[in-house]
Amino acid sequence: MIKTLVIAQQVWRETLRRKDLYVLFILLLAFFVALMTLNVFGLKSLVNHIKELGLLLVWIFGWFLTVGVSARQLPQEEKSGTIFSLLAKPVGRAELLIGKWLGASSLAGLATFFFYIILTGIVVARGGNFSPVLAAEAFLLQFCFIGVLAALGLLFSARMHGDAAATLTAVLSVAAFLLLPQAPQWSANLDGWQRQVLLAVYYALPHLEIFDLRRRMVYDWEALRLETLVMIIAYGVLMTAAFLLIAWLAYRNKKFSRDIL
Amino acid sequence: MQKKNSENTRLLSSIPRSAFLILRSMPLAIETCELTVEFHSGVKALQKLDLQVAPGEIYGFIGPNGAGKTTTMHVLLGFIAASSGTASILGVDVRRAIARQRIGYMPEQPQMYLFLTGRELLIMAGRLFGMRGKALADRAEALIEKVGLSEAKDRRIAGYSRGMMQRIALAQALINDPDLVILDEPTSGFDPIGRIEIREIISDLKRAGKTVFFSSHELSEVEKVCDRVGIISRGRLVAEGGIASLVRTGESLEQYFIRTLS
Repeated sequence: MIKTLVIAQQVWRETLRRKDLYVLFILLLAFFVALMTLNVFGLKSLVNHIKELGLLLVWIFGWFLTVGVSARQLPQEEKSGTIFSLLAKPVGRAELLIGKWLGASSLAGLATFFFYIILTGIVVARGGNFSPVLAAEAFLLQFCFIGVLAALGLLFSARMHGDAAATLTAVLSVAAFLLLPQAPQWSANLDGWQRQVLLAVYYALPHLEIFDLRRRMVYDWEALRLETLVMIIAYGVLMTAAFLLIAWLAYRNKKFSRDIL
Repeated sequence: MQKKNSENTRLLSSIPRSAFLILRSMPLAIETCELTVEFHSGVKALQKLDLQVAPGEIYGFIGPNGAGKTTTMHVLLGFIAASSGTASILGVDVRRAIARQRIGYMPEQPQMYLFLTGRELLIMAGRLFGMRGKALADRAEALIEKVGLSEAKDRRIAGYSRGMMQRIALAQALINDPDLVILDEPTSGFDPIGRIEIREIISDLKRAGKTVFFSSHELSEVEKVCDRVGIISRGRLVAEGGIASLVRTGESLEQYFIRTLS
C-alpha cells in the first residue's frame, strides 16, 4: 500500500512541477472570467446559461487533464528510462499500475473539485445557486468518470506510445459519451445482424454518459436517489477494475530492454 | 570443467571451516541455471547461461558490446522474462518482486526523475523499500555525503551533470543497505577521481560483507577490485574464475580478455 502511495505521490509531484497544468488552469480561469462578465440585456435567466457553459468547461478541462496525465505515465517512464530504477525496487507491476491510476485520478479529481468551487462562486455572484446535495452527487459521479477514464488511459498506454494512447482514449471516451447513447435509436432502424452488432457494441462499451448530472444541476432538478447513485458508482468501480485488470494482463510480462531508451 | 572444479576446490580450501559451514547454509547471491533469452526478432541474447555468485563476493561480469551483460542484469532485475532456465537472487526467484528487496541497482545510463531533487529521489527510493522516518532521512543524508553531493542535494536533478547523476544513482542503489549490489558500468561517467571514489565505495561494500556484481569495460578497474570474473560472449559464459588463476604470469586481464575472445 505504501509503495502504491509513493508512486501516486510521484505522479502528483511530476504534474505539479510541469508548466502545462498551470496553463490549463489559467485558460480555464480566463473562460470563467469571461462568464463572469457575460451580460445580455440584464436577463435573469442568463444564470442558467452560465451554469451550462461553466459545467461544460469543467467537464472538458477535467477530461483533458485526466487523459493527458494518465496516458503519458507508463510511456514516459519507459522513454526516460526511469522504469529501470523503479522496477529494480520491490515494486510489482500491479502496484505500479494502481499507483499511477491513483495519482492520475486523484490529481484530476482534486483539480475538478477546485473547478467546481470556482464555478459555484461565479454562479452565486451572478445571483444563482447550486443545490448542495446535487452538486456533491455531480462531483462524486464526475470523480467516478475520471477514475474510469484514467484506467482506460493506462490500459492503452500499457502497450502503446503515449500520444497514441492519449488519442485513442480521447476518441473512445468522446464516442462513448456522445454517440453511444444514440445507439438504441439507430438500432431501431436496422434489422438482423447489423442491429445485433450495434447493440453488442452498445452494451460492451462503457456508458460514460450516466456519470453526467449537468442538466440536473442547470435546471435545479431533484437530486438522485441514493440507490441510483450507489448503482452508478458501483458500475464505475466495476469498469475501472476491469480496465485496470486488462492493463495489468497486458503489462505484467512486458519486456523492458535498453533498446527503448 | 576440470579447471572450474579445481578452482572451486581451491576457493573452498581457503575458507576457514566455521565460515564454510555458515556459507554452505546461505543461498547464493546470484544463481542462474541454463538461462536463455530469445527476443521476438529471433536474436538469442543469452544461451544456457549458468552463473553462481557467492555471498560477499565481488564479481566482475565482462564481455564485448552486445555480449549479453546488460540482458543478464535485466533478467536478474525482472525487466525481462527468461525464455527458459531459472534465475534467483539470494535464494528467491527473480520473477517475484520481493527478490529485489535486498538488492541495489545502478543502471548503465542513470535516468532519474529530473523533477526531483537529489534528496527527494533518495527518500522516494527508500520509501519504496519500506523505509521511513528519521532512519530514512539519516541514511539519505549519509549517502549524499558519501557520494559527494551535499551541496547539490536540494537542487533538481535536471541541473546535475552526468557525473553527478551517476553519483546520485549510486546513492539510490545503496539506500536500502542492500546485500547484493548490481552495477552496470559504474565508472563510465566518472572522471579519474570519481573512479577512485567508486572503487573505494565498492571496497567498503566488500568489507561490509556485501556482494557486488558489476559489468565494466574498464578491465583495469575490474582487475583491481574483483574476486572473480566471468567473461561472456554471444550470450555464453566463455571463462570464469579468480583473476590470478585465469591470467598467465605477467599478463593483464585485458590481454587475457583479448586472448580468450580471439
